[in-house]
Amino acid sequence: MNRKKDKGFETPLFLNVLTCYVMFIPHTTHQVVCINNINFQRKSVIGFVELTIFPTVVNLNRIKLNSKQCRIYRVRVNDLEAPFIYNDPTLEVCHHESKQRNLNYFSSAYTAAVSAVDPDAGHGELVIKVPSELWKQGDEMNVLKVYIEFSLDQPKGGLHFVVPDVEGSMAERGAHVFSFGYQNSTRFWFPCVDSYSELCTWKLEFTVDASMVAVSCGDLVETVYTHDMRKKTFHYVLPIPTAASNISLSVGPFEILVEPYMHEVTHFCLPQLLPLLKHSMSYLHEIFEFYEEILTCRYPYSCFKTVFVDEAYVQVSSYASMSIFSTNLLHSAMIIDQTPLTRQCLAQALAQQFFGCFISRMSWADEWVLKGISGYIYGLYLKKTFGVNQYRHWIKEELDKMVEYELKMGGVLLHPTFGGGKDKDNPTPHLHFSIKHPHTLSWKYYKMFQCKAHLVMRLIENRISMEFMLQVFNKLLSLASTASSQKYQSHMWSQMLVSTHSFLKSISNVSGKDIGPLIKQWVDQSAVVKFFGSFAFNRKRNVLELEIRQDYTSSGTQKYVGPIKVTVQELDGSFNHTLQIEENSLKHDIPCHSKSRRNKKKKIPLMNGEEVDMDLSAMDADSPLLWIRIDPDMSILRKVEFEQADFMWQYQLRYERDVVAQEESILALEKFPTPASRLALTDILEQDQCFYKVRQGACFCLAKIANSMMSTWTGPPAMKSLFTRMFCCKSCPNIVKTNTFISFQSYFLQKTMPVAMAQLRDIQNLCPKDVLNFILDLIKYNDNRKNKFSDNYYRAELIDALTNSLTPAISISNEVRTVDNLNGDVRLILEEITRSLNMEKLLPSYRNTITVSCLRAIRMLQKNGHIPSDPSLFKSYAEYGHFVDVRVAALEAVVDYTRGMHRTSPSEVSRTHPIPYVVHKILSMLGKNPPFTKAAESPLCNEALVDQLWKLMNSGTSHDWRLRCDAVNLYYTLFGLTRPSCLPLPELGLVLNLKEKKAVLNPTIKPEQGPDTTEMTGITMGVHIPGLITMETVSSVSMSSGVAPPPQGLKRKLDSVVGPLGSSSPEPGQVLQEEDTSKKFKIRFNTVEEDEIDMESPHDSQAFIHHHLNILERPSTPGKEPPAVDQAVLSLPVTPLPSSFGKESTSSSKHSGDHHHHHHHHEHKKKKKKKHKHKHKHKHESKDKERDSHAFSNSPASGRSARSPSMSD
Amino acid sequence: MADPAVMAGGFSAIVGRSGCGKATSSPAENYQLARRRTLQVVVSSLLTECGFESAEKATVESLTEMIQSCFNVDTLPGYAKRSQRMVITAPPVTNAPVIPKALIAGQKRTHPSHIPSHFPEFPDPHTYIKTPTFREPVSDYQVVREKAASQRRDVERALTRFMAKTGETQSLFKDDVTAFPLIAERPSSIPYLSALLPSELELQTLEETDSSEQDDQTDSENTPVNNLNDDPGADKENSVLLAGSVVPLVKVSEESMIDNPYLRPVKKPKVRRKK
Repeated sequence: MNRKKDKGFETPLFLNVLTCYVMFIPHTTHQVVCINNINFQRKSVIGFVELTIFPTVVNLNRIKLNSKQCRIYRVRVNDLEAPFIYNDPTLEVCHHESKQRNLNYFSSAYTAAVSAVDPDAGHGELVIKVPSELWKQGDEMNVLKVYIEFSLDQPKGGLHFVVPDVEGSMAERGAHVFSFGYQNSTRFWFPCVDSYSELCTWKLEFTVDASMVAVSCGDLVETVYTHDMRKKTFHYVLPIPTAASNISLSVGPFEILVEPYMHEVTHFCLPQLLPLLKHSMSYLHEIFEFYEEILTCRYPYSCFKTVFVDEAYVQVSSYASMSIFSTNLLHSAMIIDQTPLTRQCLAQALAQQFFGCFISRMSWADEWVLKGISGYIYGLYLKKTFGVNQYRHWIKEELDKMVEYELKMGGVLLHPTFGGGKDKDNPTPHLHFSIKHPHTLSWKYYKMFQCKAHLVMRLIENRISMEFMLQVFNKLLSLASTASSQKYQSHMWSQMLVSTHSFLKSISNVSGKDIGPLIKQWVDQSAVVKFFGSFAFNRKRNVLELEIRQDYTSSGTQKYVGPIKVTVQELDGSFNHTLQIEENSLKHDIPCHSKSRRNKKKKIPLMNGEEVDMDLSAMDADSPLLWIRIDPDMSILRKVEFEQADFMWQYQLRYERDVVAQEESILALEKFPTPASRLALTDILEQDQCFYKVRQGACFCLAKIANSMMSTWTGPPAMKSLFTRMFCCKSCPNIVKTNTFISFQSYFLQKTMPVAMAQLRDIQNLCPKDVLNFILDLIKYNDNRKNKFSDNYYRAELIDALTNSLTPAISISNEVRTVDNLNGDVRLILEEITRSLNMEKLLPSYRNTITVSCLRAIRMLQKNGHIPSDPSLFKSYAEYGHFVDVRVAALEAVVDYTRGMHRTSPSEVSRTHPIPYVVHKILSMLGKNPPFTKAAESPLCNEALVDQLWKLMNSGTSHDWRLRCDAVNLYYTLFGLTRPSCLPLPELGLVLNLKEKKAVLNPTIKPEQGPDTTEMTGITMGVHIPGLITMETVSSVSMSSGVAPPPQGLKRKLDSVVGPLGSSSPEPGQVLQEEDTSKKFKIRFNTVEEDEIDMESPHDSQAFIHHHLNILERPSTPGKEPPAVDQAVLSLPVTPLPSSFGKESTSSSKHSGDHHHHHHHHEHKKKKKKKHKHKHKHKHESKDKERDSHAFSNSPASGRSARSPSMSD
Repeated sequence: MADPAVMAGGFSAIVGRSGCGKATSSPAENYQLARRRTLQVVVSSLLTECGFESAEKATVESLTEMIQSCFNVDTLPGYAKRSQRMVITAPPVTNAPVIPKALIAGQKRTHPSHIPSHFPEFPDPHTYIKTPTFREPVSDYQVVREKAASQRRDVERALTRFMAKTGETQSLFKDDVTAFPLIAERPSSIPYLSALLPSELELQTLEETDSSEQDDQTDSENTPVNNLNDDPGADKENSVLLAGSVVPLVKVSEESMIDNPYLRPVKKPKVRRKK
């Protein structure tokens, strides 16, 4: 509740932003990007951009652009030198002196920082002052040409250089560079308006070494040698209006393959990989055909390029007319498992070309439409290519994944609206990050967001039919292509941007249907539905009494009201019923069509019209019901827990033809370990008509059942005879056939069965000797000589099977693990593992799958105490220079080790790895498998770690949004939202003061365990306030609450803050007053300084940045505050403080000043108005200056005040 | 004493060793031999005339050579009619021993043009036929598999042990670093190459399987590219997984006609190009 309040605080800000947007955004109509030097040795880039800007306001006097990392040398507007300021508040979110260390505070500061440079709101890091000579021109609305020279030196984000450390020229070494980023990240490599909604046409020029190729967006017009013939320039033109965020580049000594079917499609890969590229791309044209056919629309760009790069940020990233893929997607014809995955990636990339690149979005809140449509048409492709079974399986998988996430983390909101009301505001109070910007989102959340988006699209399809759906897409596309061919007219080009509103309007126009409730439920609202179903059969009435309950109180759930489909399979056939879920009705009566038991045996008709013979003996004689399914088509985003008898699940598994139903029943049968379940599962396993993934699932279920039935199990271990029959030689059943892998279903089953079998356990909870020997024999007799496919995945899974067979060692006391006391079976396993791992060095397998499995196995051996636990092996495999899958597997082991052993600090690992993907992996693995959590004590949880992690998210990851959010996630997992408990009390002085009251010696631990209202307020106060002693407030409050009842309000709290500081302290109000003045003063001071130094003449940008960094530091480092006057004003409130404060007193009091200021502003509603006035006052002051310049300040808090002029106007 | 039989025997031995199977020497050779033999007899008798009891073989040889080379035919009649001459009876003309003809099987190959006719003839054709011998193959499938498996395992083990012995290793145990040695990982500068490209062994396997399949698939273009698509199970609904269409390789002629901006030649810089 309290949190709501403080989020409410942000609302007006966002409104400001909107106002700004309307007033200030000039439109870029054309942009030239010219990179004339790329130095691989130094990893640097030099170039310039020229933006043609169409001012939409009279008297445009400043232009805001986005730029990060770039060093800017000079800016000219229409050939006149222009002064500029470069300020990036996201570089360091909270400033140096911060002792706060609580995530709530960080999140809000981060959101504010991102907002402060949000291009959608017309903001940017780079502010250019239009020379006054050009002001007049504004009246005639002449275009402005903004020319910016910039360079990048060793960029950490935006562009990634891969320079292998070998002999030879850069081209021979396979050195390459490519752009990357999460969402709009183009600003990392050239100045632009980095927004998906700012469209313009492009001219791109890249001068590269003659041995290299530069691949970028648009059409390659010509390639020209430079005069010395050592370099060449690639000239690209992109006439289709495109957002800067969709521009990309990759340069390298690529091998070129022209698509044989479509000559306008070109593929690029790194040297030596051309054969793989040929094979992997042989399928692409079919995907093209598919999309063009369903969308009845030609591919919008005149060409398409695919580039395969090493160390890719994500597997697939799509940009206008080109996509960048990970080189690891390439495979030869011998590889089975990677083939579908690669094709899926290609299909995703292509879908995003239509929706995401060609059609862009109006705002971040409309992102779901693009992700939804591209995900949806990708799903259609899956259905066509991989079959309905695969499609339905995928939908179920995605739904389950998303539901699980939402139930665990709270809802995922597709279409967040901000600034609607005044007080209710943060639409997702359950999250530890803001969803206002893509850059503040957790990666996992964003993944689930995409997942939900396409699922919702499918729901819309269910409602309006696929035909209409495709018509809507076609309409969006044809409008966009008409618009794209027009010359610049802002209203026309906006047709290329999709918004939630326009999308919904098209839907209602095309279909004539109202999908309002659906949108409201799934798009405007987060969370999923959780159903519990059970039934009873009323024999007398021949009625099925179905009860469907909902849980809509726990986190991530919502209430569902509306229709729901229930399918009942009876003896006489399958019947669909549509029930209405209403407020109070739980029970639904469904009349049955069949009489309970018929005399003559007749075939039973199924849903798909098929008629089958069934053995009905297992059935309840009184009931005609075979099985019941709730919402079989997955037309609600839900989780269903349905109760029916075991035989019903068994019938469902055997006879229901829908793979989703089969998978559901497999899951349910785990709870019914009976011979009948065993039989049903075995039958499914043997049925080669059945979808292979269902059969794979059945393997694992069978293993679980077998373990539960251990005492009554008869015959050989589960699946053994089955495997023998299917895959072993007729003449010698203990030897597996030589591999052929002709039938892929069998192949997948053959891979899975041993892995599942290894999960079997005997009475001593060990893997049965039979099974282990069986697996060892499989490895021994494996023979791939006559196979045209590689068996690397199969062998890797056999190693996985060995891993699965491991059980904890029987440890006699705490002896050290030595070779001698190695168990015999383990010795055999270890022998296989070492041999396989060693063979990998000589004959590496595709994607080193076997190494990966071996590393996992070794970690498992360590974990179970068979061999000494030691991370050094993994650390060496985690080093740079190993294949990325191997590194990730090794890092996973290290992470796991950290959890178990509490020795090394995990983030130690994360510092030395230069590949963004790997660091991302480390952080997310740490998040998934944290060494400790906020609930548990751990020796690892210490101040150094907190500092390290804090630094990482505060400033260490400013070059990569995704990493920063990963760090935030990890921080959240480890320490929660509040101040980490391992930190000493924030202020030494306070500790001393508190010493007598032992009970509250470390009050910061308390909030973790049982947050009561008092502490919550304290925490919430911390959220927005750039001042830094909020936690002190909390502590002192809890101290006083130890004495007196919890404080009633804030005034009370303030008193208590001051209380312990010393009896001689002045009235709180007084302090505030003085602090305010000091702050005011400071701001004014900054403005003056900027006016004089920054705005008058252009300077070397370095100096600017440096200068700004100084300013950045200034508010938090009083020592640097130069003028004595200022100091004097500041020191006023400090003087009355008791000396116990010591050194920190100055800084803390200053923070407290800041804090009080906002605190006051925020909490004292009555005083709010007055406060506003206050704010305005200093606004006006700065406004006075605004005649010739503008105030710029750096901290997010002051960023707000910098924006306020527009609001007050 | 010189023994002509030695020579003749030696010669025939050489001939015999050369494997031609030729029994008789040519008339020219016979004449040479006879002449030499006669000369030797002459020398020997002259020596006896002069009173030597015996002479070393080498001496006789040298004298024979001398007579052969410095012999003046014109002085011969005078010398022959000298008074105290010794009359020697002519050595009996001995025919070379008749070696029984070997059985001739088939037609012998005639000399190709570049081999002079005096060279020995080719041996009988049957001598060319190779008849490999091998032991009775182990026909029991189980034993074969068993053997193949253990052989492979032994090779692998030996190889990895060797590598581990000769190179750096990592160990899983602290107390005994030699137990289960792991070949030390070695970071590579371009790790993706070895991880993605099929190893030579795999390529070899692929070629072998391809060639072994070629008999039944000769008419369909069996390139590695469309191997994947030849799967007979692919038409079943469940296995649409990897189904795709057959992609023929681009023909070279076609490739040259492709108009793709990346294939166009790079332009020379214009003389007055703006910078």
